[in-house]
Amino acid sequence: MNTSYVWWAVAIYIIISLFIAFLSRSGKQNDMVSYFLGDRKLGGIVSALSYSATTYSAFMLVGLAGLTYSGGVGALGFELIYLMGVSLIAFFGPRFWVVGKKYGYVTPSEMLGDRYQDKRVAVIVALTSCLFLIPYSAVQLTGVGYLLSGLTNNEITFSTGVLIATIMAILFSYIAGIRSVAWTDSLQAIFMIITSTVVVLVLINGLGGFSSFFQTLETEHPASLAVPGNGFFNIFTFIGMTLPWMFFSLSNPQVSQRLFMPSSLKNLKIMILGFMIFGLIYTLVAIFWGFSATIMFPNLDNVDMATPLILSSDLVPPILGVIVMVGIMAAAISTIDSILLTLASVFAKDVYGNLRKRPTDRMQLQIGKFVIPVIAIIAYLFAEMELSIIVLLSVASSAGLIIAVPAIFGTFFWKRGTAAGVLASVGVTGVIVIFLEAFQWKPLGLASGVWGIILSTIIFIGVSFVTKAPEEKAEEFLTTVKVALQKERKNN
Amino acid sequence: MKENEGVYAIIITCLILIAFVVPYTLLPNVEKWYGSFLFWTVLTVIVIGVNYLLIRDWGKKQ
Repeated sequence: MNTSYVWWAVAIYIIISLFIAFLSRSGKQNDMVSYFLGDRKLGGIVSALSYSATTYSAFMLVGLAGLTYSGGVGALGFELIYLMGVSLIAFFGPRFWVVGKKYGYVTPSEMLGDRYQDKRVAVIVALTSCLFLIPYSAVQLTGVGYLLSGLTNNEITFSTGVLIATIMAILFSYIAGIRSVAWTDSLQAIFMIITSTVVVLVLINGLGGFSSFFQTLETEHPASLAVPGNGFFNIFTFIGMTLPWMFFSLSNPQVSQRLFMPSSLKNLKIMILGFMIFGLIYTLVAIFWGFSATIMFPNLDNVDMATPLILSSDLVPPILGVIVMVGIMAAAISTIDSILLTLASVFAKDVYGNLRKRPTDRMQLQIGKFVIPVIAIIAYLFAEMELSIIVLLSVASSAGLIIAVPAIFGTFFWKRGTAAGVLASVGVTGVIVIFLEAFQWKPLGLASGVWGIILSTIIFIGVSFVTKAPEEKAEEFLTTVKVALQKERKNN
Repeated sequence: MKENEGVYAIIITCLILIAFVVPYTLLPNVEKWYGSFLFWTVLTVIVIGVNYLLIRDWGKKQ
């Protein structure tokens, strides 16, 4: 692919999105709620698009397409079961939203700390988020690096790609906090879904239309249409990959924090439904993308190269290829900037805010803004280490974050849950998951994420039973939720 | 909010369980587009539909 086209496309993308980011500056933005939550006044469509852009990253058209290439249709099951798991926010969403408004929470970890009446809960959950999400961001950065270097035959180096993505993510989150993130996310979401859908239609058309496309798969690669198929997605691998992702909408603070932001329940509803429809389309696009690679390049050694090869193939007109490449870059950057912003708020609110005696809102905001580039640089260094197995690392971060899920369930549905239960489950399981990942151990054939959810649940329940629950707070908290939801029911 | 939220939770949980079980038990030999590919896609549309039924009344009269 012509390198000067690529540079032009990247430049145009940067100019337009920076313009949008500057336009989004409104309101005072001089307190935490304004900067990190947009004053809890986000509209439904922007929430839905931004949620989509944050969730779907370079992983989709690079990693998931690669996974389809390696293992066939199991990749579709994996991603769609995740999407079904997003149903969790139809139950948790209004609850997060109600308590966010009532108690003024900025971060999910702050909510846990208050509900379980122990600052250490907020601190440990916050630190766990940082520990696992920084590698996740690094994975996104490597996605951009591979893409740019792959498409230009290394004329734009991996490091340059990573650097561009890092700087853009810092700028998008810095210019107006969540407002610039949400608006640039929305633009990028529209851009990435339209461009990738067009390319997939062009590919399918070039490969003979839908019926011929599937016929080729059925005759030449039949195993790609069933599970376990070629054996890649044996049932243990499938469960091990899918289970942690099913809880993604609760376990990942960059998305669960979004539940605090819509201006009304109606907008929360638009966010959920809008995201699910977006997700279904984008998933199908990524799977068709992977299947196209299976048909076009059946014998690749490095599956990460499937996407760059498709984009530089004869079937895709060069200009379209370049535009989609920018779409994939946008997908990566729109995920990273949201993570940066969430981690900055989590660090400022839950780590700094709980370690200082009298933290003012202003100081926390300053710390948050300072932390944004620091986290970005750490992710950048991580990415420069070129850890190649994109999918596996992404899943590892999910496995690591899943350990807070029992505590989140307990927050709304179990009065007996205790701070000691959370501390023990997150602390102990966190260490175990890291060990399992580091040594690639799979006891009984089960992956770290499965152990993460099983062990953290058992420890949370077990320790909670033998320690004292914050009864008064639990009662008051759950009554608040109940009353608010009943009021809503009567309104309808 | 729906009063019978629990029923919806059970329905969605069952649909997700089916998503794990059916492709590995009934469809491993159906190497066609109408095998697991169609199954997972249709099941997702159903889950989105159930979500719609669950949350469609949110914020109607505020």
